[in-house]
Amino acid sequence: MPKDYIGVFILGAAIVLSIIGMATYYLVKSLKRAKEIGMSSATVKNAVKSSAIFSILPSIPIVIGVGVMMSYLGLSIPWIRLTVIGALQYELLAMDQVGITKVIPTAELIGTAAIIMTFSIVAGPIFNIVAFKKLQHKLVDLEKNNKRLLDTITGALLGGILAGLASHIIIGAFFTGNTSSEDGINTATNGYITLITLAISMATMAVCGLLITKLKWTKLENYALPITILVAMGAAYALTFAF
Amino acid sequence: MKKSNHIANENLFAESFHKSGRIFTLICLILISLMPVIYCISAGVMPIWENILKAMPFMLSYILIAMVEIFSYAPLLSVGGQYMAYITGNISNLKLPCAINAQTITKTKRGTEEQEIITTIAISVSSIVTTIIITIGLIPLSIFGKDIVDTLKPVTPYVIPAIFGGLGIVLLSRYFKLTIVPFGIMLLIALAMFLMGKDYGQSTMLSAGMVVSLVSAFILYKRDSKKLKITQEKREELYNEDEDDLIAD
Repeated sequence: MPKDYIGVFILGAAIVLSIIGMATYYLVKSLKRAKEIGMSSATVKNAVKSSAIFSILPSIPIVIGVGVMMSYLGLSIPWIRLTVIGALQYELLAMDQVGITKVIPTAELIGTAAIIMTFSIVAGPIFNIVAFKKLQHKLVDLEKNNKRLLDTITGALLGGILAGLASHIIIGAFFTGNTSSEDGINTATNGYITLITLAISMATMAVCGLLITKLKWTKLENYALPITILVAMGAAYALTFAF
Repeated sequence: MKKSNHIANENLFAESFHKSGRIFTLICLILISLMPVIYCISAGVMPIWENILKAMPFMLSYILIAMVEIFSYAPLLSVGGQYMAYITGNISNLKLPCAINAQTITKTKRGTEEQEIITTIAISVSSIVTTIIITIGLIPLSIFGKDIVDTLKPVTPYVIPAIFGGLGIVLLSRYFKLTIVPFGIMLLIALAMFLMGKDYGQSTMLSAGMVVSLVSAFILYKRDSKKLKITQEKREELYNEDEDDLIAD
């Protein structure tokens, strides 16, 4: 594993503290505002609890991502990169722009990869500083003048996320089938397991929905999605031994 | 009076989030950008500028994707949520699903302040939990290293289907009319792409899905507006006829 430097770890700690500070500030402000406008404490508690539970499982692959990248970049750089803006797939692509997975990683290569990983993805935060306020004001105006259009736009965007991701997952899985192989950084993805995981996740959520609506198991509402992810991931893990 | 106070407070609330969001973003951005600098200074090396120039097309493509994404996510994330999500990342696979889940559970209505608050709470909590888990994760990673990675790595590609299968059912039940056409179109696009032996990746497909979905929704919106207009005109005609009849009587 490449050498880590204390300075980078100290910087990582500062980034983690800043993020936790930012999130805590927004959380406290939102909780106060919820109280001011008379939102019930049960609703707010539900939001906090369900969001905390929901976030646990999808965070584990991010930790694994740190583990995958540490062979090439050491521990501190992947820790910082996967704590901030970006996602595992992006980071893997970005770091391999210098071909780091094909050679013994030198400090020069790691420094170069770190620059590419950092600066390819900063457009979003820069936009937020410069122009997000204006964009948000435009959205508020649109909501006042034509709520139906804004509702259509938000619904379409959510539908678009589903359409884009689901089509890539489904068609990609059919083409991958049982043939995908590990290439060093990307994990082998079996198309059949992908499709079965997707189907199990859909079926589990459908069952939860039925239990909530037909049998009035309202307490299940808060845990339906975390349970769905847990069941689907458990099945995927078992299936990796079968295929 | 009470309502106008409420709206004024709501605006103040959003404005304070903009102000703090910009400050936090700037601080985090500076810290994030310092990482390669501190690494190079600590290691006593200079980056290979030639490789950075070679990576320019990659960097530009991600700037373009980021611009499409930022316009697309803005109406879905709250003000605070947008600032946080663009610092902590993992938006499509973690922050947005988490926000949708919280909105669904609390049954808040779109465009309301309640939804704005719930979304901010969801993304704040998710950011804290994820950041802590990743940091704690460094301990087993530094002790067990590759063993723990080898054990859990095979299951990592299946997180997205595990999340989006369940979430897909929720979104389909809510936005069936808006989702079904773009889904069909995106399936055909994905099929064509894979048949040509290309895979542009999930983030490109996600952006393409949003664009296709917006176009299809706009066509639906125009058609529905036309229908609404015709119904309104018919109603007015009937109303006028009734009035004429009454006058005649």
